[in-house]
Amino acid sequence: MTIWWLVLILGYLIASAAGFIWVVLHLKGAGGGKPGKHTATEQFQKAAEEDVEHIFNDEFREELRNRGRLHFEKIIGENAMFLQQDLRLTTSQMNEFMKQEITRSLEDAFKNYQSAIGDAKQMAIDSIEKTKTTIDEQRKMLTLQLETEFSQQKAARLKRFDEKMAEIVNHYILGAIGNQIDLSDQLEYILSQLETSKKAILEDIKNGA
Amino acid sequence: MAREELVLPPIIVGMIDVNRLGRELEAFEDYMAQAKARKSSVTTPPRTSQLLDTLASANQLNLLQDIDRERLALFLQSLQDAPSVHISFAADPSASFTEKIVAWFRENIHPNVLVQIGLQPNIAAGCVVRTENKIFDFSLRENFNQSQQALIDAVGGKQ
Repeated sequence: MTIWWLVLILGYLIASAAGFIWVVLHLKGAGGGKPGKHTATEQFQKAAEEDVEHIFNDEFREELRNRGRLHFEKIIGENAMFLQQDLRLTTSQMNEFMKQEITRSLEDAFKNYQSAIGDAKQMAIDSIEKTKTTIDEQRKMLTLQLETEFSQQKAARLKRFDEKMAEIVNHYILGAIGNQIDLSDQLEYILSQLETSKKAILEDIKNGA
Repeated sequence: MAREELVLPPIIVGMIDVNRLGRELEAFEDYMAQAKARKSSVTTPPRTSQLLDTLASANQLNLLQDIDRERLALFLQSLQDAPSVHISFAADPSASFTEKIVAWFRENIHPNVLVQIGLQPNIAAGCVVRTENKIFDFSLRENFNQSQQALIDAVGGKQ
């Protein structure tokens, strides 16, 4: 819209200048005519020309030129003022436009940036959630494995304890009472045991001999 | 006249005692040979060990007599092939205890059986008899081992 205004003002100025030049040239051409027949018409024309020359003399022309110049200067001044106003308006509009454009660009950039940050944040949250889920699953699996292993170890230890308990008790009892039993007190027991195995011992002695 | 078999008294336990008696009898024999060489009459025999005295008295032998010494030497020689058993106790047995055990073996198993006494503190009580081919475990340890299942059941291992 500002450019069109500028074009219109310039066209107006050019048209004014062309009209002024045409007026000046026309006035200058009217002052240099050829001498004709001395007829009434010619005389009349001559008298009219003289009157014209008399009316439109140099002072009048100079006055017209001054008026034209003043008018032209006035128009030029007004147009310059308009142009200046338009330029200021255009400048302010352009500043406003630039501000709006920059603001819009920045807002778009910020929106994109916020969107990217949001996406990244969401991805991070998803990743953390996934990791948390995986860790929970692994923890459950590990707990299950540990419980299984503990129960297996417990069963194995209990089994081993059952197997070894009697041996341990025997060892303890033997160690505890081993030195407390007198051999002479055992004589009857030993002789009775020998008596029960007498046949086997006898047979082995005979076979060995 | 058939010679009677000599008796091995329980105080003579094992092959160690037999070998010791053999060496002592040889020394006695040397002493008597020397006396004979000197042509001196021996009225009092040299001092002998309790084992030899017991063996001689148990068999009514006079060691001053050559024939008796010869019988004794032959008997001791024959004991080299006598049957033997090894018996272990938890503690070192006394002499009287050993004699009773040896007497039982001589009466019930073989009159000339030789007994080797061993020591196994871990059996706690009883004894372990080892013959030529077998082991007879009469120890308290073995008794406990055989009763392990009963102990497990009593403690609650078997519901």
